[in-house]
Amino acid sequence: MKLLLVEDHDELANNISGYLAKEGYVVETVLGQQRAISKLTGFDYDVVLLDLMLPDGSGMDVLEYIKSHYPDIGVLIISAKNALDDKVKGLELGADDYLPKPFHLSELNARVKAIYRRRQMSGHSKMVFNEITIDTVTIEVVVCDTTLDLTRKEYELLLFLLVNKNRVLTKQSIAEHLWGDYMDAMDSFDFVYQHIKNLRKKITAAGGKDYIQTMYGSGYKFNSNL
Amino acid sequence: MRLILKITIIYLLISFVVFLLGGIITFEVINREVDLEEQRFLRERLSSVSNMIERRDLDKPFKRDKISIEPLTKGKETEIVFSDTLVMHATLQRMEPHVKLDVVREINNKFYKISLYDLIVEEDDIAEGVQESLIKMYVLLTVVVLILSGLTSLWLLKPFNKTLGLIKDFSLQQKVNEEFPKSNTTEFDKLNRFLNDMTLKMKRDYQIMKEFTENAAHEMQTPISIANGKLEMLINSDNITDEQSAMIASAQNSLRRLSKLNEALSLLTKIDNQEFEKRDEVNISTALERQIYDFEELINLKSIALKKKIEGNVKVNIDQVLCGIMITNLLQNAIRHNVESGELSIVLSKKSLKITNTGEPLTVSPQELFDRFKKGNQSKQSLGLGLAIVKKICDVNDFTIEYTYDQNRHRIEIIF
Repeated sequence: MKLLLVEDHDELANNISGYLAKEGYVVETVLGQQRAISKLTGFDYDVVLLDLMLPDGSGMDVLEYIKSHYPDIGVLIISAKNALDDKVKGLELGADDYLPKPFHLSELNARVKAIYRRRQMSGHSKMVFNEITIDTVTIEVVVCDTTLDLTRKEYELLLFLLVNKNRVLTKQSIAEHLWGDYMDAMDSFDFVYQHIKNLRKKITAAGGKDYIQTMYGSGYKFNSNL
Repeated sequence: MRLILKITIIYLLISFVVFLLGGIITFEVINREVDLEEQRFLRERLSSVSNMIERRDLDKPFKRDKISIEPLTKGKETEIVFSDTLVMHATLQRMEPHVKLDVVREINNKFYKISLYDLIVEEDDIAEGVQESLIKMYVLLTVVVLILSGLTSLWLLKPFNKTLGLIKDFSLQQKVNEEFPKSNTTEFDKLNRFLNDMTLKMKRDYQIMKEFTENAAHEMQTPISIANGKLEMLINSDNITDEQSAMIASAQNSLRRLSKLNEALSLLTKIDNQEFEKRDEVNISTALERQIYDFEELINLKSIALKKKIEGNVKVNIDQVLCGIMITNLLQNAIRHNVESGELSIVLSKKSLKITNTGEPLTVSPQELFDRFKKGNQSKQSLGLGLAIVKKICDVNDFTIEYTYDQNRHRIEIIF
């Protein structure tokens, strides 16, 4: 997968490209609107990560350019402006998703993959990892030929873990992924633990390996190297 | 009281004093003139009386109405002396004040004591006359001044009233600035010029402040993002002990709180800056149902018994975004501060929204509950801004918010 990152903050761009590069993506970074457009005319990309506040203009202009010239490219807006107007406008202009800063890199990774999956739906609706198969269209998980009876949240949790496999996911990032802003209604991340426990049980009951590793004090990791 | 009425009343009071003094002066002047006139009249009579005495060569006392002549055996001429006296009036048959002229004259080598009387115009009569005419003039003046001041003020104060109207309609939100017009009245022109400068400056300052708050809020999110990302990469690097990763997770937690705090404060500022002046007719029933649905899982996770009674199609005039934030914060508050296996009741009617939840008693006074950073209990994840935001939203939309605590139940009621 080839990504174009349009972000004027060096450090943030380094974080993102560093994290996503480990996933095996090719990430190219440009700092401004002009460079972004010239890159887009010269090369092919699958997904563009777009910051809205750029030194030489608004990211919205880049978005319009992409949608009129390369409608096949997925666009994920990453913005410090958590303004509803921007979100609505961005999505109306054809952006695939909107992620307000600050975000977890694991969350960004999950969103990018989701965009990629949706865009490539024809052949790749199934994610396969060893004995686990996830169908992202029918929202079904099959482990060792047994279809798991998962709740919507358990399904999302498994997908989030698998997409970020071999990465430490803090309870906080998991809670934010599952409940978004509503997670503020909870005092602790005990609920994350509950969901993980149930998910583990269901996978091992179907004969799958216990890939979910507890990182004491911080979170969980989907360990593929068992 | 209207300015013009005040000015008129002050003017009339001053005129009253002037009229009073004027009355006294008029009275004095008329009195003096009348006296002089009477004295002149008596002097003229004296010369005709002298002529008569000379003609008739009078030698015995002569007494007629208002004339009395008395021949004297000896004497000497005296100056004319005027005095006031009471004399029986022949026709009126009562004592009336008269002016009296006394003189001794030598005519044909004989001395005569001559006394002449004349009925005088009484001071009372003059005073009455002056009083009557002045009162009538004063009444006339009052009526005319009141009517005219009313009429002229309409015309004179027209530019001022226009200015007032413009000030009343003034809003920092307005993009276009309506100019305060020029006026040919110096004071109003000065006022309008001053207002023009002032509003322009206010708008500029407001714009700068607004941009600053927004930019500060946005700019803060980027470094938080960077720090968060670094920590995420750090936690995934090799050879990290459990202890270290726990520290990293806790640092990330704090960063999240910082970012949420920043968002909440900038939201409060935005509400303060009246950036949510839009009034949509929001169907609060559906908005509430939708949010309860979103929160349902969390409610179940905490084994909270939910009771709801939501009247359909309750419409409230409020900015859609603010309405959503208000409901989110209320529900969040009622769930977070609830106890395990507690209760939550949500009642919506056309009049109000009542949210009641079980929970520990407050550690702060109920009056302080809606203040910023006052937490009812020191819940770790709580920012202490949720209810402050709800309160602010209620304030800008003229809703009343009430809090009561009874039998371990917190109840917040918002009356539309």
